[in-house]
Amino acid sequence: MNNKYPLASLCIFFIGLVLLVSTVGCTKNLPENRESIGMDTRFTQTVYSPVLGRNTLFSDNFYLGSSSQPLTFKIINMRTRDGVAAPELTKTTPVQVWTQPYLGDEKSVAEIEAKRKIENRPLFEVREHSGQFLMWSAANSAAIKTQPDSGYVFDVEMSNSGGRRYFRDFKLMPLKERAYEPSEMDPKTGLSKYVGLIPNSMFNIRGERTGNYMFFSEVGVLFKKNAGAGNSLTFKFVDSLFKPIDPNKFNLTKWDKLVHGFNMVKTNEYVKYDVAYPIPLIAYRTDYTNILGDKARVIFRYERQGFGNIREEAYLNLDFAIFEPGNWEITVWFTGERPKFSND
Amino acid sequence: MRYTVIIFSLFLLLGFNAETNAQQKKVVVKGTVMDRAAKTPIPGAIILSGKPLVTVGQTDANGKFNVSVNDDGELTFKYIGYKSIVRKVTADHVINVSLEEEVNSLKEYVVIGYAKKTKEVSTGSSVIITAKDIQDVPVANVMELLQGKVAGLNIQNNNGTPGMRGSMNIRGISNVNVSGAGDKAFLTPTSPLFVVDGVPVDDNSNYSYGFESAGPGISPISLIPVEDIQQIEVLKDAQATSLYGSRGAYGVILITTKRGNSKVPIISYTTSFNIATPPSLRKVIGGKGERLMRIDQILNYDTSFYDGLKNINNTPFLADSLNSYYNNSTNWQSYYYRTTLNQTHNVNISGGDQSFNYKVNTGYYNEKGIVENTDFTRYNLGMNAQYMPNDRFKLVASLANALTNSSAGGGNSLSQTGLADGASSSSLLPAPSLYTASNGLLNTLNVKNDNKVINITANLDVEYEILRGLRASNTMSYTYMTQGTDKFTPGSLSDGFNQVYNYFDRKNTLYNRTRVAYVKEIAEKHNFSASVFTELNSTDFRADAMKQNSTPNDHITGPLGNDWANSLGGTLNNLSDVRSVSLATAFSYNYMQKYVLDLTYRWDGSSTNGPDAGYSKSPAVAVRWNFNKEDFLKSTSNWLDYGSIRLSYGKNIVPTGSVYDVYGKYIAGGNYNQLPTVGLDLGVIPNTGLTPTTTTQYNAAFEAGFLNRFNLTFETYYKQVDNMLRDKEISNINAFGKVKTNEMSVVNYGYELNLSARILPAGKGFSWTLSANGALNKDVMAHLPDGVSQLMVVDANTGQNILYRLGKNSLTNVLLNTTGVYGSNSQIPVDPLTGLRYRAGSATSFNGLSYFKAGDPRWTDVNGDYILDVNDYVAAGNSQPLVTGGINSFMQYKGFSLNVQGVFTLKRDILNNATSARFQNFSDPLDQKVDKKGLQGLVPLEQFLYWKKLGDNATYPNPYDYIRYKDINPFRFDQTLFQEDGSYFKLQQVTLSYNLDKKFIKRFGVSSLRVYGTAYNIYTFSNYSGPNPESVTDLGRDNSGGYPSARKYILGLNVQF
Repeated sequence: MNNKYPLASLCIFFIGLVLLVSTVGCTKNLPENRESIGMDTRFTQTVYSPVLGRNTLFSDNFYLGSSSQPLTFKIINMRTRDGVAAPELTKTTPVQVWTQPYLGDEKSVAEIEAKRKIENRPLFEVREHSGQFLMWSAANSAAIKTQPDSGYVFDVEMSNSGGRRYFRDFKLMPLKERAYEPSEMDPKTGLSKYVGLIPNSMFNIRGERTGNYMFFSEVGVLFKKNAGAGNSLTFKFVDSLFKPIDPNKFNLTKWDKLVHGFNMVKTNEYVKYDVAYPIPLIAYRTDYTNILGDKARVIFRYERQGFGNIREEAYLNLDFAIFEPGNWEITVWFTGERPKFSND
Repeated sequence: MRYTVIIFSLFLLLGFNAETNAQQKKVVVKGTVMDRAAKTPIPGAIILSGKPLVTVGQTDANGKFNVSVNDDGELTFKYIGYKSIVRKVTADHVINVSLEEEVNSLKEYVVIGYAKKTKEVSTGSSVIITAKDIQDVPVANVMELLQGKVAGLNIQNNNGTPGMRGSMNIRGISNVNVSGAGDKAFLTPTSPLFVVDGVPVDDNSNYSYGFESAGPGISPISLIPVEDIQQIEVLKDAQATSLYGSRGAYGVILITTKRGNSKVPIISYTTSFNIATPPSLRKVIGGKGERLMRIDQILNYDTSFYDGLKNINNTPFLADSLNSYYNNSTNWQSYYYRTTLNQTHNVNISGGDQSFNYKVNTGYYNEKGIVENTDFTRYNLGMNAQYMPNDRFKLVASLANALTNSSAGGGNSLSQTGLADGASSSSLLPAPSLYTASNGLLNTLNVKNDNKVINITANLDVEYEILRGLRASNTMSYTYMTQGTDKFTPGSLSDGFNQVYNYFDRKNTLYNRTRVAYVKEIAEKHNFSASVFTELNSTDFRADAMKQNSTPNDHITGPLGNDWANSLGGTLNNLSDVRSVSLATAFSYNYMQKYVLDLTYRWDGSSTNGPDAGYSKSPAVAVRWNFNKEDFLKSTSNWLDYGSIRLSYGKNIVPTGSVYDVYGKYIAGGNYNQLPTVGLDLGVIPNTGLTPTTTTQYNAAFEAGFLNRFNLTFETYYKQVDNMLRDKEISNINAFGKVKTNEMSVVNYGYELNLSARILPAGKGFSWTLSANGALNKDVMAHLPDGVSQLMVVDANTGQNILYRLGKNSLTNVLLNTTGVYGSNSQIPVDPLTGLRYRAGSATSFNGLSYFKAGDPRWTDVNGDYILDVNDYVAAGNSQPLVTGGINSFMQYKGFSLNVQGVFTLKRDILNNATSARFQNFSDPLDQKVDKKGLQGLVPLEQFLYWKKLGDNATYPNPYDYIRYKDINPFRFDQTLFQEDGSYFKLQQVTLSYNLDKKFIKRFGVSSLRVYGTAYNIYTFSNYSGPNPESVTDLGRDNSGGYPSARKYILGLNVQF
């Protein structure tokens, strides 16, 4: 009796083993649980032409198709058109990155600067999981080939646990820096096509001599970077002979809310602010920007008593962006007659 | 009457025949047969004697018998489910025996492929539920009671509508196609095939769970009275189901109704009364509290304080608090839900013995739904009679009639969406009357909805033994089922436009099966059996509907109306006329019941098959080894009652698609030159190459019984469904929009365990039996159309997409991953390049509202672009349960018995859309109709840990910030915040019953009297935060529009005269 027990137990154990093996054997051939790499996945944009000297993000350039996310992207084989490796784009360079959100309510330049820091990054990157391309503002035309040069060629590797795919021969054809927008520069040659820009809008401004309304053709806007340390922005108004016009004559202007600048200095010739660059700092709508938030908006207003004792309110508005730090000076140049500030 | 006379005379003739064969000295033996445990007499026990054994008699209603046998003979007492006893004829010619219940489940009879055999020689996987297991709860649909009783049969009683059934699947899901969206998304139903008294009943086409039919939508299984059911058998593996052909691919459930089995007629009366109570209703904030809450929210979160004041003053229901229309605190839920008293009555008259027996059953079942204006009433009249003059000829005739009346109120058979919206109306609105605004409630209460279903089934079975061992039989049945709906929506509910809806359908099913079977035994060792049968099935179905708008007034409910332009009528496009023919063969061999081999093969042809599809073939092979009968294990016989191993393999091939998918369809077009035109339906391109869906199943099982007390069954299976049908969009350069192809595969594999133990065996006063079963099922996606490795089913409604991915569970929820709530603004990630904060949607909105801030949910930015959009969904959660099962305990002491039953479902993910919607109600304090549901009530939020102030570490986001709601949508349905574990253990049933003492009741002429009290659907133990983890759709979505399951308290009585 006693020696029979193990036999039965052994038998049951053996049966259990058979059952287990039979199920395991069946499931052996099932497909592995892996993420998908779709054959319909592709980049919808293959030629990228960022303007150097500013942060550029290329979005909406990728069609996911039937791939599973998260995907991992990598730029490989960065090279010039003739096939020579181009390490200048992939080696890390100090760039300025945001660590906290800029909201437009900061009280000093230092507070703004505390929200960003310097990090080492390649100048041209792909976002690891989204496939967006980004070009940092530290990239400049001294080190990087710009158009009309045919630029660079690179490949992208896309992978997840389901495998990997390569997308080949993306073209990177950067454009030369344009330090400010709007710009009179030709994007390819980097040379000015004309002198002076026009304001975005003008309203009710009359000429001093004729009393007629003034038009865009009679106003020029000049951007100039002065030498020296520090970051500042100066506004000046001049007549056709570059004689200064007193900014105080724009008597309704909200000087303290004109730009997101600090330590305003207002003289009879100019208004100067300490600022942080670029202007605007980010493409986010604040009190100092247009509705889209991509340009700073300044409005110079004044009022006067017009003919027949009518109050006439007038303004001149300029939307602009400046990407290069330094001591910038924006001059509003009345090329015809001076605006009329006095009462009739 | 005439037939009765003929049958009786034939019976008498036979009786004389038996007499003439007698040669030895005869004595008359008397006695009683009792149940050893219950101490009750057993009526209908069979007494056999002689060599070979011949039936000599049967016990009467009091268990008494009186037989004439040889004086030196032996009597064998047999009764189904009891151990047989052999006794020698005693000197005093009195034999009193007590039969003991058979615990050895191998001696149970199973029916597989229309052939009856003992479990010992059956190779298929099947489970038997007897009348005893389902007698204590009155339900409309018996399937509700099978929950937790069969390992591998996953039933979720998630539809409380009287007469409906919940979702059920045998061994995992067999079809992963999803229809509908949002809360109304359902899996394509794959209900098992039901075979009622040998006749297949289709429960899959027009009545299934998840199918919002145009008609009443009553399941045909709801037409069978539970009291009349003798036995239910669930067939699970391919060996068991393959003989049922293509329709058995999703498992087969056999239902056998009662037969007469007593010489003295037995009249048994069963009645029960039950109180159905709605589940606990949710708390709401009422009246002034709600108004102040809304005002507080507006003042705190509007764009400015003064804008808030302006908005409040412009909103009458907030500002005009003295207006009696708004000065209310209405408890809407109380108008919808009710406690009801229901009753059932059933009379069963039966009698006869093996050679002739009859049964007549009449039943009445009434269930008033716990939602107002919903009810279900069923009337039954059924009979059957069996005539078997000798062992060679048998005739069974049966007739079943059922009539049901039901009302679905303002909803339909599946959901009460109007109710869900209405019951969550704002408490500020006045109580319902025709002059108030809430139509949801009036809709539920005042819609006249009358559904009627009539079903008549006639069935005739003839069996004849042509030669010894060779039997021919024929079964023919005809079923007529008609359903009608009358619905009248008064104009006072729908802007003065009243509406009559009328629906009528009829379905005729003719079924015939002819079978020849041969049984042969050689040298008492080799047992052969073989059979061939053919099946013919012809079903036609036609439904007509009529919708009449604008009758003259609310009192004239048709047939006249003036709005002919919007009135519709005609035959619905689900018209069908289907024929199918099948041929099946089965061969079985066993050697001394030790080694068993089963081979079956079946061919199916159907009129819906494409010309290229041909006959579908279902083969099956199975073996069984009863190893305890081996000589080398003889020594274990004192503790091992039985032990066996089964292995089976089989295929079921199901033709897919309708005749239209194969051949295309012509439809009536517009007029051309004043003549009507007929054109091709360009929706779906015909595909003559549609291949049938193939279900391949492997099954392995181990069964053993120990010490006559413990039984164990362990099964493992692998089920692969190939060539699943799916719509595929085709390129728009084609004239057609879609094509149906068979390109998907899904695999289910799992383990099933069934244990039962007689902890205290019967016969010692107190007995206790405990049984438990559980099934673990895993499903895996194995193939997708065009060879892709993933596919997303996009949900346009709630965004709760479903992912099919190879190698993963077949239905994966795809959601935003909520990892908490931003406690403060500094926690929000910033794009290092653009300096912008993480935001919802790629557009940088001018108002800046889409940027996340403190109090918003912390959703994982999967692709790292600092934008929350469609790229940030993660595969999270499985809507199908991993483990299902049940526990049953039965205790008995003298006449008392206590039965406790619990069911459980483990590891399934539920999307709690109800809670999500409750939070969403806070998005519209001014009732600007953002969600178009009307003014919604507010629920107290104390139970939720939500964000209140900067620095809070909360679980739920800030519900009050309604201005940014559109941009952020913090309580969106498609996020893991509302995905919860839906594991539960439900205390399903507790029954206390008492069998009155025989001697006492005999004085009143009653042979047996049993009273019982049952509490049903008692309590669900779960961590789920919603009302009930079971009341969710088969895709695991807790939609508030579902019909809740009632809790029932039942008092019942079974009397036998």
